[in-house]
Amino acid sequence: MESRFLLAAEQLTVTPNPLVPKAGWITNSMLVTVIVTILVVIWARRSTAKMSLIPSGIQNLFEAIVETLYLTFEGIVGKHMISRVFSLLGTLFIFILAANWFGLVPGVGTIGFGVPSNIPLSLKDVSAPLLRPANADLNMTLGMALFFMAWWVFWTVQEVGVIGFLKENFAPKGGLKGFLWYALLPLFLFVGVIEMISIAIRPVSLSFRLFGNMYAGETLLHTMSDLGVSLPVPVNWLCSILFPLPFYFLELLVGLLQAFVFAMLCAVYIKLSTEHQEGEAAH
Amino acid sequence: MDAVGNVAQQFGVYWPNLIAQVVLFAIVYLVLKRYAFKPVIAMLEERRRRIEEGQLNAENIKKQLAAAEAKYQEILSKANTEAQRLLDEVRASGDRLAEQKQQEAVAAAEQISLKAKEAMTLERDRLMEEMKRELGRLVVDTTTRVTGKVLTPEDHQRINEETAREVAA
Repeated sequence: MESRFLLAAEQLTVTPNPLVPKAGWITNSMLVTVIVTILVVIWARRSTAKMSLIPSGIQNLFEAIVETLYLTFEGIVGKHMISRVFSLLGTLFIFILAANWFGLVPGVGTIGFGVPSNIPLSLKDVSAPLLRPANADLNMTLGMALFFMAWWVFWTVQEVGVIGFLKENFAPKGGLKGFLWYALLPLFLFVGVIEMISIAIRPVSLSFRLFGNMYAGETLLHTMSDLGVSLPVPVNWLCSILFPLPFYFLELLVGLLQAFVFAMLCAVYIKLSTEHQEGEAAH
Repeated sequence: MDAVGNVAQQFGVYWPNLIAQVVLFAIVYLVLKRYAFKPVIAMLEERRRRIEEGQLNAENIKKQLAAAEAKYQEILSKANTEAQRLLDEVRASGDRLAEQKQQEAVAAAEQISLKAKEAMTLERDRLMEEMKRELGRLVVDTTTRVTGKVLTPEDHQRINEETAREVAA
């Protein structure tokens, strides 16, 4: 049984599988990304195509989601930043959520290429799935994190300026003057360096957190599906449905939570780098 | 850098894949920003503006209602005062009129009484004069019958005067 668990876990490799031999960058996770992109765009366009002042149906749902996100992010980044940053934060949340939940659609990770079995249209083992959850590919999560960090740098510089950013991170704070200012300068410089390292690690932590959770979730579902593979034919089919079922609900929750965590952390990073400007402006 | 490269390779991170995913995400971002969030936020803003406007209108209407109520009370109070004043005036005017009519009635009654007195006096004088004349004639007749003599005009004159004197006394 132990070897079967390993085999099941190995079904989903850490790296995505190329779909086109001559274009290795076209992977199964990218195909899912394209599908999710199309679905999200269609949903958003249908929701906003014929907008009315009194919303109903699909417009109502979309507006409710957007309004909830807007108010939540506004509470973190503040009124002065929300109009600039909402589009990115909202896109991050919606896209990550859609991608995470799309990974739970039956067929994702289970339909693909591999060694054929005796049963028609079935494989002994799916070695190269056709569809791979988009966020179970580090390229996707790292890409989103880097995209966000690029905008974060832009908004931070726009808001506080390069000098302001450096002063905020390296200069002594708390209204220190005279000897105390010079005495504590090395300490604040050291803290500033640590802060720079922390900022540099942000895309790594953001991307690995999401990737790790989604990859682990997908692996868990695969493992649960293959748990009864050694049993006779009708029973092992039933087991492949019943065993992973509770974990699908868990993954629904994890998918939502991870989308929220990613977007919220991005909002917090924006707040941390722009909040002092607001305080100074208030004075 | 080699260590980073090794880790990236282990996790299947390659520049073409990374760039392709970034491009796809950028497309989602731009499309949602332009065609989804912009109209929705504009709609939410419009709705918020209308609600605020509605609340402001409701407040204005409330103020106008309060002002109208105050004005209504003021007008009512003024009308009450005016009505009371008119009532007092009417009452005073009525009293004056009644007094005037009473005085007129009294004067009229006095006049009637005076006229009646005058008529009575005249009647009494006339009756007295008639009675004197009758008494004089009766006295003359009686005297003529008792004495059997024919009385002269002088006697008549004297008897009449004496009778009149006696009656008057």
